[in-house]
Amino acid sequence: MELKIFFTILLSTIFINNYVLSRTLGTCPFLGVSKRLDSAIGMGFAVTFVMTITSFFTYIIYKFLLIPFNLTYLKTIVFILVIASIVQLVEMIINKSSPALYQALGIFLPLITTNCAVLGVAVLNIDSGFVTAQFGLLKSLLQGFGGGVGFTLALILMAGIRERLELAEIPENLKGMPISFILAGLLSLAFLGFAGMTI
Amino acid sequence: MKLLNEFTKGIWKKNPILVIGIGLCPVLAVTSSVTNALWMMVATTFVLVCSNILVSAVKSITPGHIRIPIFITIIATFVIVVELVLKAYQPEVYKALGIFIPLIVVNCIILGRAEEFASKNTIIPSIADGLGMGLGFGLTLVFLAFFREILGANTLLGYTFIPGMQPATALIMAPGGFIILGLMLWGMNKINSKNN
Amino acid sequence: MKNLLKPTIVLGTIALISGITLAALNTITSSRIEALSRDKEQRALAQVLPGYTNIVEKEKSINGKAASYWVGEKQIDGKKQFGYAFIASKSGYSGDVVSMIGVSEKLIIEGIFILQQTETPGLGSRAEEVISDLNFWDFLAGKKEAEKKRPWFQRQFTGLNSAAEMKIVKKGNWTESNKDELLKNNEITAITGATITTSAVKRSIEAAVNDFKDIIKPADDGVDNETIK
Repeated sequence: MELKIFFTILLSTIFINNYVLSRTLGTCPFLGVSKRLDSAIGMGFAVTFVMTITSFFTYIIYKFLLIPFNLTYLKTIVFILVIASIVQLVEMIINKSSPALYQALGIFLPLITTNCAVLGVAVLNIDSGFVTAQFGLLKSLLQGFGGGVGFTLALILMAGIRERLELAEIPENLKGMPISFILAGLLSLAFLGFAGMTI
Repeated sequence: MKLLNEFTKGIWKKNPILVIGIGLCPVLAVTSSVTNALWMMVATTFVLVCSNILVSAVKSITPGHIRIPIFITIIATFVIVVELVLKAYQPEVYKALGIFIPLIVVNCIILGRAEEFASKNTIIPSIADGLGMGLGFGLTLVFLAFFREILGANTLLGYTFIPGMQPATALIMAPGGFIILGLMLWGMNKINSKNN
Repeated sequence: MKNLLKPTIVLGTIALISGITLAALNTITSSRIEALSRDKEQRALAQVLPGYTNIVEKEKSINGKAASYWVGEKQIDGKKQFGYAFIASKSGYSGDVVSMIGVSEKLIIEGIFILQQTETPGLGSRAEEVISDLNFWDFLAGKKEAEKKRPWFQRQFTGLNSAAEMKIVKKGNWTESNKDELLKNNEITAITGATITTSAVKRSIEAAVNDFKDIIKPADDGVDNETIK
């Protein structure tokens, strides 16, 4: 029974409630970094990593610090500062421990602080009622991880199409952002198909 | 005259969404109805103007390397002000905008204006800049929401628009948001290229 | 040392000012926010137990967790009848759909009121949609609505028998013209494109009625239970 719930959370954050294509969170980096496939993959991994860690820390802080001291109204400011610190910390650790990984992910990390999807998952973990739920921490972690994977999936799909689009002949005024938005709309329409899935 | 220029540039020439292409998250999520878009405009403009004032006021004592945490703290404070006030006095709006109220914090427009304008200018121009950018952002939202609400839900401000018409529901969901915004940008490009 | 001191002081001061401002604002708004949520419970009770008086809140344990329910009474044909209200919740398309359900002692639904839902705007969220009699042009002309209506999706549950099977059918919106037929067949009409939300509400009612079945007892014929005990 419980196992099924974990599976449901993972599947629904990746496909049914895809953060970019159905909740429209993280649209800025989605359009900004999807011009090339390799940078899309790098950004995707970095976001997945940060989202999972953020889910862990914000959950702990909310449950054991904000609730006991009756400070839940401060959650927005606390979460964003936690995310900014995590991003800084991750950047420093990766820089020291693995220069190769730093070269691949380094330039994307500072952008992640202002990625709505990261703060979004922290707030959604609270709104979903995971704080009082059984196995709440694990559920939050899964939601963070699934959200990141969903973001990566959308980014890779988008980058794959946009690389081909470079060669296509499109009307002058549609080039760049307009056609990217229409493309994102079509992708999102395709993901709407998952909405009929019952799990 | 210069002040007027600071104000109007955000509405068309440097429109944060249409020209610079930032602050897109709430654009697609809250434009399913004109009412939501209007409230988002009010909330964002309030935070933008207040944070611009404060950032501009403390710019001389802000050490360069920790300016970003300071800006974020200031912005987040005003976002919580909006959150608490809406929750207490406009609970329906608070519920409708939901997660997108705390997400005003990560709206790149606000941090962008603090960094690019308010930290380099005095208070009065910063207010003009904040108001202009907020309105430019908000009017784009309202314009987009106008089309999405009429076509996607056949309502305007919550009232039936054309009695008996079947709406295209996909347009108030995520795909419709992406596509209509794409078409809007196309239209804007067309107008701009004609003018040049 | 000096390089460290100044940033710390500046950041600390700004954080302190922000903290004090927000704490002050929180004290001002919190009493109102609490009052609003209490008010919502009262409004919900008035909708789900219409005409019932002396509503008292009670508690019972379900699977080890305490759950609140409300009992009210009403005089029907000179006899005292009880009505019961409780909270029902099942996960819908995105997140839980929580509603308050009122039933009579014969398990006929007196009313439902959706307390919380985060469904897709334009689809599942229409569970709370109120269709106005006026259209946009009437509104521009300055016409006012006679009375504030309740959401059609929630109104259609009133009068259904929760003990029998409630069927979900797709007949568009619940309107004056199809309501009698739906009621006769114990049917609810789904929100177009949001069958998941509709079925979440239906399943939550079934589960809650099942959970609270043992507290719902028919009133006896004029003899007061309490005096016998």
